[in-house]
Amino acid sequence: MVKVVFSPKWFWGKDIFIDAIALLVLLSIAIFATRYYRIKKSRNYLYLALSFYLIALSFFSKILINFTIYYQVLHTQIVGSIEYTQVILKSSEILAASGLFLYRLFTLLGFFVLYSIYEKQSKANVILMIYFIVISIFFSKEEYYVFYLTSFILLGVISNRYYQNYRKNKKKTSGMLAASFSVIALSQLFFMFVNFTKHFYVAGEVIQLIGYIILLVAFVTVLKHGREKNKG
Amino acid sequence: MEGKRTRVDIIGDMLSSIVSKGGQIKPTHLMYKSNMSHGQMKTYIDDLVQKDLVKKVKKGNFDYVIITDKGHGLLQKLREMKEFENAFGL
Repeated sequence: MVKVVFSPKWFWGKDIFIDAIALLVLLSIAIFATRYYRIKKSRNYLYLALSFYLIALSFFSKILINFTIYYQVLHTQIVGSIEYTQVILKSSEILAASGLFLYRLFTLLGFFVLYSIYEKQSKANVILMIYFIVISIFFSKEEYYVFYLTSFILLGVISNRYYQNYRKNKKKTSGMLAASFSVIALSQLFFMFVNFTKHFYVAGEVIQLIGYIILLVAFVTVLKHGREKNKG
Repeated sequence: MEGKRTRVDIIGDMLSSIVSKGGQIKPTHLMYKSNMSHGQMKTYIDDLVQKDLVKKVKKGNFDYVIITDKGHGLLQKLREMKEFENAFGL
């Protein structure tokens, strides 16, 4: 059976709220990157928008899975029929397994597209990476931490890239961006250990929220600076 | 400036030059400030006028290029983009 629910019951709903915030932050950046792409027609903007849309889509899948499961479990508890509960859980398990697959696929593809902006990939590399991503998702079905380990590595490389950019231009927003991705990478480490105790899931979600809030602040600062300069 | 300027970079430089002169500038000054040839500038100004980003007006014996509200709006977007590019290292 695929492990789908990682959250302790008292945290149900709160994790959906945290993921919804991440989704909104990612969508805002993706929408702006799309707008900028329309003006400049630069591929980097296109890939940046694509990567953020993919990661946003992954959060959307996760929210949908969690919402469906939490709602159905709570609903069946209220109804209380054993037969009804079994039917519902069986159908929700199929939905959750496919949703989880999409969540993991979109997440890793999104991070890979983001990474590819900075490290140009040959076609062969892209095929290889997609193969490894799919393999790691299949392994994650049995050993869920493989997914978090893969995303931790991808996020680590991306964070390092943003840190190098910060060292080069010394801009506050670049530093915030490096910090946000580092914090999000750190959250993946916590998710890796949810089998020991579900409190790791709560810690991972909270750390992830901090990461996305830093990302939001960095994004708002970028827009604010752009507007301030225009007044001068 | 690093590398070759794109069309969008040139338009950004032109609009910035106009704003730095208080919103209006003589074509010759614009040419020097935006680092362009005469022919290049003429083509760009015609394009910007057509897109309602700048206006050409005559004041006394001199021609002036004036930035419009739409031009201000585009310049703001371009500056946001520049900040965005720097932050993300694009």
